[in-house]
Amino acid sequence: MTLVRDDLRPVQRRTAILLVLCVAAFFALLARLWVLQVIQGDRWQKLAESNRLRRLPLEAPRGEITDVHGEPIVSNRPAFQLLLFPEEIRDQEESIRFLTNLGIADEAAVRERVARAMRTSHLPAVIADNLSWAQMAAVAAHRLEYRELEVHQTTRRSFPLGPAAAHLVGQLGEVGPEQLGRDDNLRPGQLVGRSGLEKTYQHILGGTMGNLVVMVDALGRQVSKLSEEKPLPGKPLRTSIDAAVQRAAAEAMTGQVGAVVALDPRSGAVRALLSYPAFDPERFAGFLEPAYWRQLVADPLHPLTNRAVQALYPPGSTIKPLLAAGALADGSRAPGDSVYCTGQVQIYGHPYRCWRASGHGRVDVEAAIEMSCDSYFYYLARDVGLERLTAWMRTFGLGRPTGIDLPGEAAGLVPSDEWSRRVRGQKWYAGETISVGIGQGPILATPIQLAVAYAALVNGGFLVRPHLVPAAAQPPRPTGLPATALARVQAGMLKVVHGERGTARRLAAQAPPIMAGKTGTTQVVRKREGVRWQDLPWEQRHHALFVGYAPAERPEIVVAVVVEHGGEGGSVAAPIAGKVLAAALGGAAEGLTPAGMSEEAGEPPSLPPAEMVGGRQE
Amino acid sequence: MILRRLDPWLSAAFAVVAVCSYLAQDSTAQALDSPAYSSRQLVWLLLGAATMVAVGFSDYRVWARLAPALYGLSLVVLLGMLVLAPVRAGARSWIGIGSFGGQPSELVRVVVILLVGLLAAEHRQRRSDLAGVLRLSAVVAAPMALIALQPDLGVALTFLPALLAALWLGGLPWRLWTALLLAALALAGAGWAWYLKPYQRERILTFLDSDRAPLAAGYQQRQSRIAVGAGGLTGRGLKSGTQSQLRFLPAQHTDFIFAVWAEETGFVGATLLLAAYAVLLIRLFLIALAARDRLGAVVAGCIGAWLSAQTVFNLAMVLGLAPTTGITLPLLSYGGSSILATSIALGLAQSVWRLRFANV
Repeated sequence: MTLVRDDLRPVQRRTAILLVLCVAAFFALLARLWVLQVIQGDRWQKLAESNRLRRLPLEAPRGEITDVHGEPIVSNRPAFQLLLFPEEIRDQEESIRFLTNLGIADEAAVRERVARAMRTSHLPAVIADNLSWAQMAAVAAHRLEYRELEVHQTTRRSFPLGPAAAHLVGQLGEVGPEQLGRDDNLRPGQLVGRSGLEKTYQHILGGTMGNLVVMVDALGRQVSKLSEEKPLPGKPLRTSIDAAVQRAAAEAMTGQVGAVVALDPRSGAVRALLSYPAFDPERFAGFLEPAYWRQLVADPLHPLTNRAVQALYPPGSTIKPLLAAGALADGSRAPGDSVYCTGQVQIYGHPYRCWRASGHGRVDVEAAIEMSCDSYFYYLARDVGLERLTAWMRTFGLGRPTGIDLPGEAAGLVPSDEWSRRVRGQKWYAGETISVGIGQGPILATPIQLAVAYAALVNGGFLVRPHLVPAAAQPPRPTGLPATALARVQAGMLKVVHGERGTARRLAAQAPPIMAGKTGTTQVVRKREGVRWQDLPWEQRHHALFVGYAPAERPEIVVAVVVEHGGEGGSVAAPIAGKVLAAALGGAAEGLTPAGMSEEAGEPPSLPPAEMVGGRQE
Repeated sequence: MILRRLDPWLSAAFAVVAVCSYLAQDSTAQALDSPAYSSRQLVWLLLGAATMVAVGFSDYRVWARLAPALYGLSLVVLLGMLVLAPVRAGARSWIGIGSFGGQPSELVRVVVILLVGLLAAEHRQRRSDLAGVLRLSAVVAAPMALIALQPDLGVALTFLPALLAALWLGGLPWRLWTALLLAALALAGAGWAWYLKPYQRERILTFLDSDRAPLAAGYQQRQSRIAVGAGGLTGRGLKSGTQSQLRFLPAQHTDFIFAVWAEETGFVGATLLLAAYAVLLIRLFLIALAARDRLGAVVAGCIGAWLSAQTVFNLAMVLGLAPTTGITLPLLSYGGSSILATSIALGLAQSVWRLRFANV
């Protein structure tokens, strides 16, 4: 067989070119490999790490809040929340649809929460809380589709006292962006105190977040735990509140609108602090339903306001003991000085009527307090003038915040000519001074201010700083009021309850402790002759006030009660105060229902001059 | 020893790649929780080695003479599959009896290379003319179209290097190259508009702009780059790469197997494997240069071009230099048909080497 060798040179030339191309390609691949692995290796390693590591926040349980005996006012219970890892989201719309179907909120709210979570995409955000078992099961069943979601066990606030402690404890709310920037311990979606004790003592109750670093696979399943930084739970907060007193106050106030403050006059330790109507604190313990929020905001009774420290009321007759003490102290009045009450007083040519049209006859300071005689205080106001009156009020702490350890306290109003010109744009009229003498007109105080003022009346003349936590206490400041003046006023207040003609003498029947105090009824609209308060529409009825204390001889507790549109201080507010005082001193408050009380026992409203039209001043 | 008659470099390179292949598959089998993958791969690699030796000791010229018949059989099988084969992973590319089975398209490629070599060799001294070009193109296009219809675009594309190499080695003049280039461009445009599925277009766009949809189509490439880069200089240790073991790496036993190897053995291991591939491919071209006849030269050259193209494209894809196309890495990726086809092709080259001297 003869073989003709092919001329292979062209083929070989072209093969050689392919060879060169192939080698060149391999050098390019090698260069790329060098860049990726050796030059950029660290960077890719970090990405690989963040791929597989998940930082789970471990929420610190908030500290318990207990009363003075250690009984819980707020405690924690286990709950489940849903975390969203924004970086893991594959299809945002799909996730939003899933979350909406899950029923955690309506679509707009879900969309908003997801959008907020995306802004801090390196951190997981709480997207829902208080998950039901069905919701947890649904999340678990869709684990593979939505690896950005994770159910996380946590704790949730629970409220043994229910709405009774709502304002005292306050609301939790999601941390805001500005607060987030200030405090590294906080993270998006975390709940922080927004009001009440939760806000004031956030730094104690809040604790410090922990971290759990886990390794996950591409499906987001936890493979192993790499490191754990345990959260530091919030510290417990022991308050001066007495849960029994708080409950008694809540029970006595059922169905009413107003506030109760009870405190120890010797130290300022608050035993009860109630504002009604209240909100349901359970619904503020997590994500707030917008509908519930709108309902609260739209409610004309303002259930979100803590009336005990934020609402301003004309003190009415409850101002009288303060003015009496001031007058006795600086000699404006001697204990024996008296006036003759005919039921009406002519001052500056205008008639000022005492609440009792038939008059009280001759009254000295004790009797004036006992019977709440307006005439006595009209004359006093006329004689000393606005400056002295308001100086006495300021001595008792009116017109400025008491400094209680709750946020948002109102300062109240003690008027002056300067104030009148600045705020109302008119000069102060002398006639107004006469009204202020019976606590009407432009004079406003909060229930806590009244309680503090009365504490000074009964503790030897010291202005205490009211507080809910012992650490917030301050040494009482002496007011310089002489003991004799205070004793005389106390004698008057004792007669309010135990005197024959006392405006709250119905309370005398109550079992010990012996209590004393002062009624107040402030008119909301101008009085119409011959109309009983029970017949007025609710919103036109008078505010009923009572500030009392017990035991009378050595007071351990002062209570201020305001019942908005409640009617009369003596028949409505005083029994509530009686129950609270009884609870505070361990006694039972029996037979203290307003029903069956005689009309005369109550005190109709103090009357401003006829030409003054009263109005609700808050 | 008789084995010395074969090319020792090619055999050694095959052995190195096979060892790396087994180790990489062993690692990814653990990650995927399917230990059978590594043992099956081992069986196929051993079978592949035996096949290479057996084919090496056969005569490539005999196979070339059988090529037309085998080609006809291949077309019949491919046609039959379009109708009969079950749909697996969206394509009719797999046939099997019981647990044995494979992708005939892998073997068809070897047959096509043989036939193309035969045709190109027939030209002898003459340069390829237009008729030759059309004939070669038709020979490659028929099975390619049938495979593309399965549809298995990745495998179909691997036929192109063989066609181009045949035309190139056959001595296609420049003006025809220019015409071919224009035709290819037109075809690519038409393919983009009518043939490519939206997800395939998305892959290409993703490659051109890597920031596009980082969580969707770009996910695979990104995870692959992270895996390779995280390997660093010395790697994270076999079976210890987090990208593969925690399954962040997609298609890690097939298309992205090199990323597993690179992550776990680092630049050192990856360079070793790269060198083995380089030696293997360079030897194929050197065998083509040493061939005794046109047939051997063209067949070995086409095999070299095909394997080079597939290797380079796969590695470029893994390293983020080319779009994701579903092209596997010869010998390293999991799959018996592919290993068998590659081994047969290497065996043909061994045969060309063994018979490189005239009158043997």
